Amino acid sequence: MTEGLIWGYVYPNEAEVQWSILIVLYPYITGLVAGAFIASSLYHVFGKKEIKPVARFALLTALAFLLVATMPLVAHLGHPERGVQIMFTPHLTSAMSGFGYIYSFYLIVVVLEIWLSFREDIVKKALSSRGLKELLYSGLALFSYDISERALHEDEKLARRLAIIGIPSAAFLHGYVGFIFGGIKANPWWSTPLMPIIFLMSAIVSGIALLILLYIVAMKIRRHAIDHSCLYSLAQYLWVFLIFDVVLELLEVVSMKYESLEEIEIINILLSEKIATTFYGVQLTLGIFVPFVLLLLVGIMKNHDTLKTIMIAVSSTLVVIGVFAMRWNVVIGGQEISKSLSGTLTYVPVFFGMEGVLPAVVIFTIPFIILLVLTYILPPWKDMEEATE
Amino acid sequence: MNGDLTMSISRREFTRIGCRVIIGAAAGTAIIESIVKNSLASEDKKGEYDWNEHYWGFVVDTTKCIGCGRCANACKLENHVPFDEHLYRTWVERYRVLKKEEVKIDSPNGGIDGFTNDIPKEDIKKAFYVPKLCNHCDHPPCVQVCPVGATYLTEDGVVLIDYDYCIGCRYCIQGCPYGARYFLAEETPHHKPHSVLGGGVADKCTWCYHRITKGLLPACVQACPAGARIFGDLKDPDSAVNKILDKERINVLKPDLGTRPKAYYIGLDREVR
Amino acid sequence: MQPHIKRAFTLLAIAIIVFIVIRSLVVPDSFGQYGWYRGDSVVDNRNFPVEYAGSASCGEENCHKTLYSIWEDSRHKTVNCETCHGPSEKHVSNVRIMPQPANESRDFCGLCHFRQTARPEDFSQIDPETHGQNLRCAYCHNPHKPWFV
Ligand code: HEC
Ligand code: HEC
Ligand code: HEC
Repeated sequence: MTEGLIWGYVYPNEAEVQWSILIVLYPYITGLVAGAFIASSLYHVFGKKEIKPVARFALLTALAFLLVATMPLVAHLGHPERGVQIMFTPHLTSAMSGFGYIYSFYLIVVVLEIWLSFREDIVKKALSSRGLKELLYSGLALFSYDISERALHEDEKLARRLAIIGIPSAAFLHGYVGFIFGGIKANPWWSTPLMPIIFLMSAIVSGIALLILLYIVAMKIRRHAIDHSCLYSLAQYLWVFLIFDVVLELLEVVSMKYESLEEIEIINILLSEKIATTFYGVQLTLGIFVPFVLLLLVGIMKNHDTLKTIMIAVSSTLVVIGVFAMRWNVVIGGQEISKSLSGTLTYVPVFFGMEGVLPAVVIFTIPFIILLVLTYILPPWKDMEEATE
Repeated sequence: MNGDLTMSISRREFTRIGCRVIIGAAAGTAIIESIVKNSLASEDKKGEYDWNEHYWGFVVDTTKCIGCGRCANACKLENHVPFDEHLYRTWVERYRVLKKEEVKIDSPNGGIDGFTNDIPKEDIKKAFYVPKLCNHCDHPPCVQVCPVGATYLTEDGVVLIDYDYCIGCRYCIQGCPYGARYFLAEETPHHKPHSVLGGGVADKCTWCYHRITKGLLPACVQACPAGARIFGDLKDPDSAVNKILDKERINVLKPDLGTRPKAYYIGLDREVR
Repeated sequence: MQPHIKRAFTLLAIAIIVFIVIRSLVVPDSFGQYGWYRGDSVVDNRNFPVEYAGSASCGEENCHKTLYSIWEDSRHKTVNCETCHGPSEKHVSNVRIMPQPANESRDFCGLCHFRQTARPEDFSQIDPETHGQNLRCAYCHNPHKPWFV
């Protein structure tokens, strides 16, 4: 069965691809988290007022995706029940060992940040409702109802500080995911010090794009007008980060080709035969080039708000897809070349089963459900809608 | 602070837990690692075999290998590695450099079923076999990347796996430049996939640690009829391995990766990676 | 500090303490004994069953003494008994358990002796098509002393 999928010589143990679509999903999801968080810090830390309408919504999005970030990993483990050992006995020389602690730290930061920025609403709800609802919100308020001017001011100061810690830790959370791949000297397609930054840039890009999409969809569902100044400034940030992203991604490939080390032959085969469509087609053309041009037009054009909104929505969709393709090209592409440097193999995703496409799809829908529940408990709509009242 | 805790457990146990809580608080610090190591390493719990007296090494003489695949076969039988899967602790590769400047490499079923002459002799410039196995590197990248400490380099220079601790993340399989590791999902004497979800762990050659610590040779070395595999103690100046290392010109696989392998090769061709 | 923030941080502190306590209870005793791994695992690895007894144990005492001494002087002395007969540790420790019968097929001898381009020239090889008229090898050669003369 496997013979037809193998070209040249691969080590006999390599006949099977070890990291499947779930491991593609994992950096994708953490990327969305990091991106959404950084988008919200544009307001919380850098005080970009135009972002205010989506700032709290971005935090909720980050949390929703953060909560499922571990799922593809755990589902992929050979012994999921032993997974916590990564917290109990983290082997510090391993890039992966930091995962448990970095993740927990970041989770705490995000939850605290959300709690502080929603506390006023929570307390008001707790005071104005009865029964179970009262209990829920009082619990969320930790049975402390001080929302005096001074208290709220203190909250805001702390939230800002947290957001300042949050940015480096979001960068770290995702940069380190890049290092998991970038630090593997055995794999020439992965091993590059650029990997963490590439991951980080594409994470920010995908996070902002997702936020734009969710914002447009939420406003359409709630039948409310879109705040165009917010949308355009988000689109502008997306455009800027796209530039960083494409520069780094091209730099990696160009320097690999220019230096032409021992492994260049197999890299060329990888790029021209194995992942040509997903790399040149989806990741670079659809995922970066087309949105780049569209967003440029959005920046130049005057009026035509509806058309511009559509163009932004299209570019964001393309970016979100393109970044997924980028994760795919890294994770799967890296495993499709043999470490013998003289052969390739092909990953054929299965649909059912623990590591199939189905669980991946299921895991990817969970954050949207969580987001729905979160926005039900902690509605962020107020600031999204008041600007365009 | 822990007043309530003491009620239910004995005093001794409490101090024990207390100590471990303190150690736990500093989880992962290399300092503690080294303290623990130094104070306990002298305590020999393993009976008559003293791992401080040995440091194992392996020599592969590719000029002697006849490609019969009996090593790979014996290895699977000795270590209960499933035969019907693509899982090999050791395997034999065949390299054929053709006259039209092309290199054909193959290893059908790790060489266990032998090789077929599918290219006529006239087209071949040179041909040879290269047995492969875990290199038991002195700087093992697989150990470096294991996130939980389920694989390690022992004092006698062997890289082992803790089958009861491995979480099955397969990072070590990615980290090994030699393709020596594989994912073992079947039940064997080494590993029981008791998890409901099936379960699996990383596995690889151990230089038959259960044999060498009893004074036996690794199964593949014993099975080799051509003397292409030589095993011995690097700490013993008269050992079979040292005799070769002292006079032959040897090389290791992928030396540029800095893994410092302890499987040394005689007659390594530039095509071999 | 505001009371609600104090509460939040207390919760966090409790969570961390609970984590540390659980960790100290769950991590195996021997972890860290020799390095960043479970010390007992070394013992586990040493205790896996041995399957290949080695040729020497075949020739011991009153077992296959004669066969062993014949084999010892033959060109096949580098070919371990168990390479043809299969792992026999169980047979050595309990003679009632018989090892698998040896593989007598031409193909089995051929794994080592059929002519292959990649094989070292000086190794004894035969052409499977022409040598021995398609008879079992043992018809003419004694596997334990391939040169009967
Ligand atoms: C090259 C492969 C090979 C090796 C090496 C080998 N044997 Fe055998 N052995 C055979 C075969 C084939 C037979 C069956 C022979 C026959 O039918 O005549 C056999 C038969 C036997 C028998 C049954 C003999 C009988 O008379 O019925 C014994 C006992 C035996 N071997 C012991 C040994 C011992 C002990 C060694 C190691 C010293 C050894 N063999 C090494 C291939 C081998
Ligand atoms: C595991 C590999 C192996 C197997 C299996 C094996 N042999 Fe051998 N045989 C050898 C080796 C090694 C030699 C030593 C020859 C040398 O060094 O050139 C040898 C030598 C011989 C010789 C002597 C050749 C000479 O030039 O003196 C004969 C004949 C022979 N084998 C026949 C057989 C037969 C018949 C069988 C099957 C029962 C068999 N062999 C199975 C490895 C094997
Ligand atoms: C009909 C009897 C017969 C059979 C069957 C037979 N051989 Fe031989 N074999 C001989 C004779 C006679 C010689 C010595 C003359 C020669 O070199 O051709 C010999 C020589 C050899 C040699 C040494 C060749 C050399 O050039 O050093 C090997 C190896 C060998 N045989 C292996 C085998 C194997 C393996 C088989 C089974 C596939 C086999 N023989 C079957 C009769 C036989």
